[in-house]
Amino acid sequence: MSLLVIVSLPLLAAIISWLPLGRQVAPIATLAACVTAAILALTDAMAVAAGGQVWAVRNWVELDGLGALILLLVATVATTAALFSWGYMAREREARHLRRYYANFNLFVFAMLAVPVLVEPAVVWTAVELTTIFGVYLVAFENTPEAVEAAWKYSVLTIMGGAMSLLGFIILFRATRFGAAPFTWSGLIVLAPKVPLNVLTSAFFLILVGFGAKVGLVPLHTWLPDAHSQAPSPVCALLSGVKTTLVLYVILRLLPILNATGRIDVDRWAIVVGLVSVGIAAFLILQVTDYKRLFAFSTVEHMGIILTAAGLGGAAAHYGAVYQILNHALTKSFCFFAAGTALLTVDTRQIAEVRGLIRTSPAAGAALLFGGIAIAGAPPLAVFLSEFSILRSGIQQEHYFATALLAAFVIVAFFGILGHLNRMVFGPAALKADQAVPVRLPMTCLLTLVLAGIPIVVLGIYMPAPLHRLLQMAAQGLAS
Amino acid sequence: MGHFTPLLISLNSLAAGVFLLSAFGLLATRQMQGCVRFFRIQSLAVVASIFLIAIEMQVSDLIAVGLVDLAIKPVLIPWLLRRYVREELFRRREIEQVFNIPSSLIVALALTLTAYFLAAPLPVAAGAIGEINLPVGVAGLLLGTYTLAARREAVTQLIGIFAIENGSLLAGIAIAPRLPLVAEMAFPFDMLIIALVIGILTRITHERVGTTEVGALKSLREQGAAK
Amino acid sequence: MVRSIGFNLLQVLFVVGLAPLVSGVLLRLKEIVQSRRGPSIFQPYRDLRKLFNKDEVVSEHASWIFRFTPYVVFVAPIFVATLIPVLTSYPLFFAFMGDMLGGGFVLALGGFFATLAAVDTANPYGPMGASRTRMVGFLAEPVFMIVFFTVSFVAGSTIPYIVQKHWLDLPEFFAPSHLLLVIAFLMLILAEAGRIPVDNPTGHFELAMIDESKSLEYSGTGMALMKWGGQMKLLVLICILLNVLVTPWGLAAGQSLVEVLVAAPLVGVKILVFILVLVCIESSLAKLRLFRVSEFLGTAFITSVVAMITGVLRF
Repeated sequence: MSLLVIVSLPLLAAIISWLPLGRQVAPIATLAACVTAAILALTDAMAVAAGGQVWAVRNWVELDGLGALILLLVATVATTAALFSWGYMAREREARHLRRYYANFNLFVFAMLAVPVLVEPAVVWTAVELTTIFGVYLVAFENTPEAVEAAWKYSVLTIMGGAMSLLGFIILFRATRFGAAPFTWSGLIVLAPKVPLNVLTSAFFLILVGFGAKVGLVPLHTWLPDAHSQAPSPVCALLSGVKTTLVLYVILRLLPILNATGRIDVDRWAIVVGLVSVGIAAFLILQVTDYKRLFAFSTVEHMGIILTAAGLGGAAAHYGAVYQILNHALTKSFCFFAAGTALLTVDTRQIAEVRGLIRTSPAAGAALLFGGIAIAGAPPLAVFLSEFSILRSGIQQEHYFATALLAAFVIVAFFGILGHLNRMVFGPAALKADQAVPVRLPMTCLLTLVLAGIPIVVLGIYMPAPLHRLLQMAAQGLAS
Repeated sequence: MGHFTPLLISLNSLAAGVFLLSAFGLLATRQMQGCVRFFRIQSLAVVASIFLIAIEMQVSDLIAVGLVDLAIKPVLIPWLLRRYVREELFRRREIEQVFNIPSSLIVALALTLTAYFLAAPLPVAAGAIGEINLPVGVAGLLLGTYTLAARREAVTQLIGIFAIENGSLLAGIAIAPRLPLVAEMAFPFDMLIIALVIGILTRITHERVGTTEVGALKSLREQGAAK
Repeated sequence: MVRSIGFNLLQVLFVVGLAPLVSGVLLRLKEIVQSRRGPSIFQPYRDLRKLFNKDEVVSEHASWIFRFTPYVVFVAPIFVATLIPVLTSYPLFFAFMGDMLGGGFVLALGGFFATLAAVDTANPYGPMGASRTRMVGFLAEPVFMIVFFTVSFVAGSTIPYIVQKHWLDLPEFFAPSHLLLVIAFLMLILAEAGRIPVDNPTGHFELAMIDESKSLEYSGTGMALMKWGGQMKLLVLICILLNVLVTPWGLAAGQSLVEVLVAAPLVGVKILVFILVLVCIESSLAKLRLFRVSEFLGTAFITSVVAMITGVLRF
């Protein structure tokens, strides 16, 4: 039952936000809904980690380890994004636009929360399509020509991906003809050995291509830097942090199904596709000119890392993959919050125009630097640990070539990100700094930065036992 | 229904033929109105195929799906497009495209051949009547993708997406005629929402960017990025 | 055997006699659709009679080709008419003289001579129209070829009488390749017979003429033969489409004279239905600009190739 409550809370908040009740009602309602959903999600996740069963409608709305992790992440990042929005969007003068923003925000969160709790693949497709559609307005919110162009490219490419994957999901349904299991993720794993190979492979490839476009895997990634940089920063945090992860989660659900047939080496495909994305993204990071695009390309890179890790196989690599999902969601959202704070300070997205940020605004500069270091994978922060565990498991599995490539790409990206950020944060104060009136950063933004930053530091040093159990259960969801 | 079967199979073949023809028509037409018209014909062909397979396989769910599709695709979606995309965009007669029409048609031919070979290994649940849906549906999918890539106009890109969904649905009802009703109903409503959102987005694009030639938008790039 | 030859002659007379009527009905219906009264449907007969009684004026620059061509243009469709099923559904005496490909070549022969004659006269508009006709012709050739090959492959023979039996059973009739073939051939008829959207048959503007230009310089008997030949060419193409490609309904199946005579009005009804379709097409489209004609015929080509693919691969 709690699952249905979690999903319907943002719906309620959306309706409240829509009503003309004053400027502060919408953000508070959104925040309240997200916090409640996060708390409920935490309880459910802990229940699952302890070995219990959480479900609302048998074979339609159920929660397993992997789903619980994703649900928890969505709810957490939604909460921090809602908190950040409160201060960030307060600049928006028209109350009507603000209400529409929050209404869409809540609908977006609603659709995202629905994806991990649904276990029937066809409705999962519908939920993912809904997330795409609700995101369109948010991406175009700034209403500049660039934002509208970004929204157009985003919608066309992702909806096309969804349309292509539709056939894949219908083919997947065909598998239920060959056994007695229900049409759910776990049911498909049970059925897999008896299903003809061409059914599963054709479905897999259609969904890989279609949803790969939605994740931003190369070569269908062209919309991602545009959309994830032109949207308002809290929305970028949601998009990069959880939405792409959600779509990747759906692709990852297919891997154990195909592995269960025992007749096809789909892991190899996962490694290849993942490595291509990591490599191209790493090199594109080097030539970026806009710091939000920098973080967006980093998202593409991390999606590739997660896919490669899932393909490397073995319990350790799967654990590394879900660990990376967790860390990426938290860290990337923090990065975008930092970018949003910096944007408030210097009012430009171009890296070349920002210098000496640490002098102009210590908070923004420190946050940006911290976020950049964290996402690049420097110790002793969270992302370093997960990437390291992935590389170690790769060597253990004897995938030497793949692991070496992965390490090389990650190092390239590391230097790229740090190089750009170094120039931005340190160095002599930039031209804009002279005429810049010191902007007073909203309290909620600063609060969000602190709240979002704490887990990144903590998780780099210490892993709480319940979380460890949750990650293990999630990793089991990747194994067949 | 045994002795009706050959007739139903024949009519289904006819529907598939009309579907394929309209998929080609999408590529061969120069006018915006022509695109919408061919999309309507294509949707009607898909609905006809849904009804025929529903009668032959005696699946009552599919009839409901067919009715919903009939209401949404040929009727509501063009109406939505007219309402939200400005009239002047429809009156424009020429659509910008990347290749000229004869070359596009030859590519379309190659795609149809590819579709036949791609669809060969796929399983058909609907028996003899559904055999033709698969290659034609996959061809519709590929041709829709090509329409999307080769056209620069906003509305035609949207119609390309719908063509992809039409193709997926046509192949899908042959592969899985007994998909749960909930899931089947979700597809046309999803298309409706997409039409609404993209229609509004097109109007906003026209207002902010000044043109709906969205394929030619290139301001967001590394080298020449504007603020 | 005598009966067979007799029916063949009857068939030829049917084609020769009906051609001007088809043309007249077509023109009259088009005019009615445009809210005018239009000429009588027997007007083409009166025109032909008038032209046969007039003197001929021949340019002094013209050679023997100019005088020879009207006869070629008149005879070619007659020759093809002996090869295709017009009234009967079983092969007649001359049926095996040539197959569909041969028929196509003979029609092309008529067109070839018409083009030569147009160039022959040193009239500036003649060669212009002739070059345009050739352009349309060479773009239409691949479509002809592919349609004939597909039909032959699917039906297992190149003789029109045998091919037509293939479409009798229902699954074949509704197969996608059949529909696409019919549409491709329809577009071909529009191009070869010079109808809208390729060319305006009632236009008087020489600069825009494509097919009409072949008869610009003719007068008297020559003009009559050219006109009649053009009308017969249209009728022959219609018969190929209706009786060979679409369906053999209405054709006589038995050997008696009565049956064959009854088949004539039935086929006439079929032709009338097609004329209605043609009138709809002509009234709702505009003439294409010249460089768009290649797109039109390109689309016809692609349609025929898709028909071939779906037919050969047995979708």
